[in-house]
Amino acid sequence: MSLDIVITPEANNGKRISIAGSLDSNTAPELQQSIDNEINDSVNATVIDFKGLDFLSSAGLRVIFKAKKMMDGNGGKFLMVNLQPQIKKVFEIIKALDGMNVFKDQAEMDEYLTAMQDKVKEGE
Amino acid sequence: MDRQMQNTRSITLRNELADSSKLADFLSNYVKTYKIPGDTYNDLRLVLEETFVNIASYAFDKHGGQTITVDLTNTAGEISITFTDTGIAFNPLNHAADNIETDDHCEGGMGIHIIRSLTDRQQYDRVGQSNVFTLTKHYTKQNNE
Repeated sequence: MSLDIVITPEANNGKRISIAGSLDSNTAPELQQSIDNEINDSVNATVIDFKGLDFLSSAGLRVIFKAKKMMDGNGGKFLMVNLQPQIKKVFEIIKALDGMNVFKDQAEMDEYLTAMQDKVKEGE
Repeated sequence: MDRQMQNTRSITLRNELADSSKLADFLSNYVKTYKIPGDTYNDLRLVLEETFVNIASYAFDKHGGQTITVDLTNTAGEISITFTDTGIAFNPLNHAADNIETDDHCEGGMGIHIIRSLTDRQQYDRVGQSNVFTLTKHYTKQNNE
């Protein structure tokens, strides 16, 4: 059971962390290390892309919530996209989806980001 | 051999987190053998991981050198999972977060909440020098058996 992590740049100084495989007690430290290396005060938005993830345990959840906490603390955005049903179920069990920016797919997230950018422009 | 014995499979693991992948492989083979539905498999995989990590992390003074035995038994739409170890007395049910909705999710305590949510019964017993933790889950059998 392994975890693949791919980090790519997003618009407006964001980072996308795409994870595939199993995020569990053995692989959670790998994701934590990647986040520690890549996410800092200068990152405005972190997107976790769960598309290839088929297993998530509480050890993995803790890493996800730690990243969210860091982004919240920096005033940045934390977004989650492409959660498979069994992954979404884990978040639902611990009643953690309220207050999270969760999008079923890329199109839904793009729509949200475009609306956010329009809002910013209106305020300029 | 009675029916329950026929449907029981066991694995003995080291009390090291790395062995959780062996437990996942063991479960994967078990569900294939007994045609356990995919959604039940997903739940069981999470339950086994959370329970094993809890016991391996807290029932021993140190990692390694001790064992945890896991028995899976499946009868009439019900799966029973029993974890047995000879660590210090440790009841995983006492290791839950106080309030899952308001607690800091960066901290521990989520595992036992997940275990309780995905199983129908949980029972801990201290038997002699052993911890015996049994979980039971009902499932609907697949029609194509």
